[in-house]
Amino acid sequence: MDTIVAEGLRISGLSYVLIFAVLGIFYGLIKLLLRMLPPRDDSA
Amino acid sequence: MTDLLRGIVGMSDWRVWAMFGVGLALIWLAVKKEYEPNLLLPMGFGCLLANIPFSSAVGGGFLDILFEGGITNELFPILIFIGVGAMIDFGPLLQDPEMLFFGAAAQFGIFFTMMLALLVGRIPGVTGIPGLKEAAAIGIIGAADGPTAIYVATRFAPALLAPITVAAYSYMSLVPIIQPPIIRALTTREERMIHMENPEHEVSRTVKVVFPIAVTLIAGIIAPMSVALIGSLMFGNLLRESGVTERLSKTAQNELSSLVTILLGITIGSSMGGKQFLNPTTLLIIAMGLIAFVFDTAGGVLFAKLINLFRKRKINPMIGACGISAFPMSARVIQKMAQQEDGSNFIIMHAVGANVAGQIASIIAGGLILALVR
Repeated sequence: MDTIVAEGLRISGLSYVLIFAVLGIFYGLIKLLLRMLPPRDDSA
Repeated sequence: MTDLLRGIVGMSDWRVWAMFGVGLALIWLAVKKEYEPNLLLPMGFGCLLANIPFSSAVGGGFLDILFEGGITNELFPILIFIGVGAMIDFGPLLQDPEMLFFGAAAQFGIFFTMMLALLVGRIPGVTGIPGLKEAAAIGIIGAADGPTAIYVATRFAPALLAPITVAAYSYMSLVPIIQPPIIRALTTREERMIHMENPEHEVSRTVKVVFPIAVTLIAGIIAPMSVALIGSLMFGNLLRESGVTERLSKTAQNELSSLVTILLGITIGSSMGGKQFLNPTTLLIIAMGLIAFVFDTAGGVLFAKLINLFRKRKINPMIGACGISAFPMSARVIQKMAQQEDGSNFIIMHAVGANVAGQIASIIAGGLILALVR
C-alpha cells in the first residue's frame, strides 16, 4: 500500500477511536456532575 | 478612458461569466429557496464583487483586508463559535448523556471522505489533492459544521477554502433532502416508529455552568489544537448558562453572530475567483462533500442499530443520524420523520441531545485532525 494512504488510514482510524474516547470521558464527566450536583443544589 | 474600457474588455473572459453565474446561483438559493440565507447571500455577493474585472474590492481592496484579518488568522470562525455556543442549550444532552456517542459515530463521513480524497488524489491527472492535508481538509466537510471546516481548511489547504466552505454550508442547508432517503434505506418502518421515553430528571444550573468549563479543560488537555474551537464554543455557552451575563449572551447570539456572519460570508465569497474556483478539483470537492454527509448519516444510524443489539430498551435508530453537527436542522428533520411514521412519537429531546453532541464531536474531530495530520 502507498505510504501516504497507509498513513491516512492510520490517522483516520486513530482519530475516530479517539473521538469515542474523548466523548466517553465527557459521558463520565456528565454522570459525575449529575451525581455530585443534583437539582436541589440550586436551592442551597 | 482606458480604465473605463478595461472592465468591459475583461468581460471577454468566460470565467467571469461563469463565476457571475455561481454568485447569482448562491443568491438565488438564499433568496428563493432560503438555503442558509445568512451565509449564502453574502457569499454570493462577495463572489460577484471579486469577479468583476479589475474590481477594487480585491487585489488589495477591503475584501482582501477582511480575508487577512479574519480568515487567514482564523478569527471569524472562532468568533462565530462564541455566538453558536451562546445559542446552544446543552440541557437535552446533559439529561441523556448517552447521546454523546451518536455524536462520535456520525463523524464517520469525515474519515471515509478523507480516505476517499486521498485515493482520488493518487489518480494520475488529479492535481488538486496532492497530500494528506488537502484530503483532511476535504474530509472535514463531513463535520457538517461551517466554522470547523473553515478553520481546518485555512490551515491545511487555503487554496481549497472556497469550494470546501461552499460545499459545507450548501450540504448543511440540504440536510432535509440528504438525510431522509439514507435513513429510510437503512431502517425498517418498525425501527422508525420506536418510541423513546423522555428523561425525567432535571439538570441543576450548577451542572450547566460547570459543564462548559470542564469540557474546555479536558478537551484542551487531550487535544490542545482544539482549544480555540472548543474554548470559544464553551465560552459562549458559559455566557448563556452563567445567568449573570445575559446582555453579553444576547450580544453573542445576535449582534456578534450576525456581524461576523456578514463579514465571513462576503469574505469567503471573495475567495471564489474564477481562476482558483473553476477547476475539476472544485467539482471533486463538491461531490466528496455530499459523500461525507451521506456516510455521516449512515455511520450514526448503523451505530444506533448496533447498540440496539445489546439493549433491552431500543433506541430509535434515526437518532443516530442527528449526530452530525448540522444544528438544529438535523434534529428537526428526524422529529418530522418520526411523526410521519407515527403522529404520537416525540423524540425531539433525544434528537437535540444527539445533535449538540455532534457539535462537540465535530470540533474534537477537527482538533484531532489538526494534531495528527502532519
